[in-house]
Amino acid sequence: MNIIGHKTLFLSITAIVVVISVAILVGLGLRLGIDFTGGSLTEVAYTEVPEQTEVQETINGLEIENLNDVSVRATAGTETVTGGYIVRTRDLNESERQMVTDALVSLGNGGEMVRFTTIGPVIGQELADKAVWAIGAIALIIVLYVAIAFSGVGYPVSSWVYGGITIVSLLHDVLVPTAAMALLGWFMGAEVDVLFVTAILAVLGYSVNDTIVVFDRVRENLKKFRTEQVTEHKDVTGVIQKETTYTLTKPFGEIVNDSVLQTFTRSINTSLTTLLALAALYTFGGSTTEIFALILMIGVLAGTYSSIFFANPLLVWYAERVNKLDTMTPVNEEGAATK
Amino acid sequence: MAAPETETHIATSEVRDNPVIRWGRALATLLLGAVVAFFVYTNATATNPDYPFKLGLDLAGGSQLIYEADVSEVDPLEVPELMNVLRDVIERRINVFGVSEPIVQVEQSSFVSDEVRHRLLVELPGVTDVGEAVAEIGRTPLLEFKLIDSKALMEQQLESSFNASASGTVKVAIKDDVASSSATSTATSGNPYLATRLTGRYLESAQLDFQRAQGGVPAQPIVLLNFNSEGGDLFEEITGENVGEQLAIFLDGEMISSPRINERISGGTAVISGGFDTDEARELAQNLNFGALPLPIELVSTQTIGASLGHEVLSQGIAAGLIGLALIVAFMVLWYRVSGVVAVVALSIYGVIMLALFLLIPVTLTAAGLAGFILSLGMAVDANVLVFERMKELYREGVRSREAAREGFSRAWSAIRDGNLTSLLSAIILFWFGTSLVKGFALVFGIGVLVSMLTAVLVTRTLLLALPETKAESGGWLSRLFHSGINKS
Repeated sequence: MNIIGHKTLFLSITAIVVVISVAILVGLGLRLGIDFTGGSLTEVAYTEVPEQTEVQETINGLEIENLNDVSVRATAGTETVTGGYIVRTRDLNESERQMVTDALVSLGNGGEMVRFTTIGPVIGQELADKAVWAIGAIALIIVLYVAIAFSGVGYPVSSWVYGGITIVSLLHDVLVPTAAMALLGWFMGAEVDVLFVTAILAVLGYSVNDTIVVFDRVRENLKKFRTEQVTEHKDVTGVIQKETTYTLTKPFGEIVNDSVLQTFTRSINTSLTTLLALAALYTFGGSTTEIFALILMIGVLAGTYSSIFFANPLLVWYAERVNKLDTMTPVNEEGAATK
Repeated sequence: MAAPETETHIATSEVRDNPVIRWGRALATLLLGAVVAFFVYTNATATNPDYPFKLGLDLAGGSQLIYEADVSEVDPLEVPELMNVLRDVIERRINVFGVSEPIVQVEQSSFVSDEVRHRLLVELPGVTDVGEAVAEIGRTPLLEFKLIDSKALMEQQLESSFNASASGTVKVAIKDDVASSSATSTATSGNPYLATRLTGRYLESAQLDFQRAQGGVPAQPIVLLNFNSEGGDLFEEITGENVGEQLAIFLDGEMISSPRINERISGGTAVISGGFDTDEARELAQNLNFGALPLPIELVSTQTIGASLGHEVLSQGIAAGLIGLALIVAFMVLWYRVSGVVAVVALSIYGVIMLALFLLIPVTLTAAGLAGFILSLGMAVDANVLVFERMKELYREGVRSREAAREGFSRAWSAIRDGNLTSLLSAIILFWFGTSLVKGFALVFGIGVLVSMLTAVLVTRTLLLALPETKAESGGWLSRLFHSGINKS
């Protein structure tokens, strides 16, 4: 399999996916939940479920000020209850909460308040700030770590490039599930909450791990297929300077391609086991973690794809464009580059 | 190669390949795993275990309340200490309420937000009637001592009574009064009550007492206030400087008594008397004891989860975890054969170590934490897969199985180290920044990464090295077991 040979194709596919994702995100936007906007959620379960319009009318009929924006969503039944509703309103104070809960519970039969959450707008804004900071901080730490861990492989591309590409593919891996969330929000009314942020952050960790494993193999193979020549010369001040010249005995593109193929089975198997665990969580884990598991599955798929078909083609493309390196023809003695 | 080196090489390889040592280590590992599993089992099934699983509110049902403290009136340097006092007071009040294992924590908005906000996080497991809980906690007797500016007070009373009689409604009249008095007399600025620095934060205790009956007057209930040394000094200072003035005692912004200061009072004890019967006095003393809040607080967020919903989430989470584990086990054994079996044993030991750590640390399990654990199951396999793939390469090249395992480990190590360390760094940042829900996930995820790295390196390696040795070209059933995949070889 020649993945690097088809790098233009894979990079184009990735570019298209990214453009579509951005278009979805910009076009549809994310539905922010009360975790971010502030507000109240009241969830009530019934043994005999009242009509949704009845619920809507009851809430609208309550004497609470500024209760303009009320959304009512039906929930699935379980072993003990036949179903229920989640009512989202602006943030309610204690007496308003009491009114809403009492009104809802008295509808239908066997009404029971199962969940109530209210979040002030300040806390919501703070959470949004925190999420942005956390993602930024993780990205920064990772690029630093990768650059340091790969500092031994300066040739033919600097170790910072490995760090940079890790971040670029990380953006891809986060963008795809976020776009999926926008679709879920548009079609199913799914709202972005803290669990979604957690899922995205988990995707970050997973994606980095995946990319690093392949880069680790590149690092190892580069050391295997290069010869080292140390020349000494005196500089103007008379201090002896050592200069190391590396010569690759195999083209860079081939080395990267080999590395990808050697780690291919591992990439597939690891994402497969993770997907199996997540599929179980999605199917049997209940409604609380359903979206979480789905978003993670999409993120894991995106991460596996990018570590094989995106990060490494990008690495070779960069080496060709920026370093003017002919990566596919064998390097002879004259073509030796210096560090 | 020099002769002595060859000798050491043989010596170490003899020690390394000594079956007694190899099997002894493997047995010890398995035994250790069994002990940990037994510890988890006994604690999970016992009715009153020493180390119970701690379930978060979303799994056990209950209420979470977040209060924000108003710190605008106090010195920023004193805030941390005041918040701790506040926590203790609320904790005492909840304990009276009779909630089992409540959590009261001081939280600070992280440095990323523009303004530092101080919050109190209250978790009440099992309490689903949040109204009652809020009322109980919100019964905020904020005790304040204010000096009365008698001139301003008289002016105010005069004007308001005048305005009240002139216009129809008292409400409007008072509004006018504020405007007019601030306009006419700048000296008093209209507020007859001057704040002193003395508040309930300096109160050590309050107790019910009775004033001795004198002559025909029956015994009067009084409330004795004992200040701490700082409060005592302050009280002495205030009384000393304002002899002849009235000192008003405010509870939650309401004046409950306004005794005249007759002399400088030292010793740190004050008396509130008059205007209440014995029951009221006792309640006041109790409220002050349990609730002299050092800072005013405001409820900013509540969350209540019914017990049935929590129970459902928990049982579904456990089911999902077990099914996920079964799927991973099936895949690993089918694909990696004998190595897969080793991985499954290692994964099981990973699982019980994680559960034991949940019990011992203890980690409060939430839906997010449970999801983190299930995710970590999938990722814990990764280190094993990395090693097995390396092993397989060497094995196909003709390296004997045990040497392949040993070499496979050392070659896979750099990838395992870098991958896990970056994941660990992410987990630490998540924990640092996160809200309590994200923290639960990050903690489980971070511990999971560490433990999975340890089990891969210690358990998987020890067990693999204990296996009988074979070569790829020997072609027997044993040699086939060391291959992988769906092909027969």
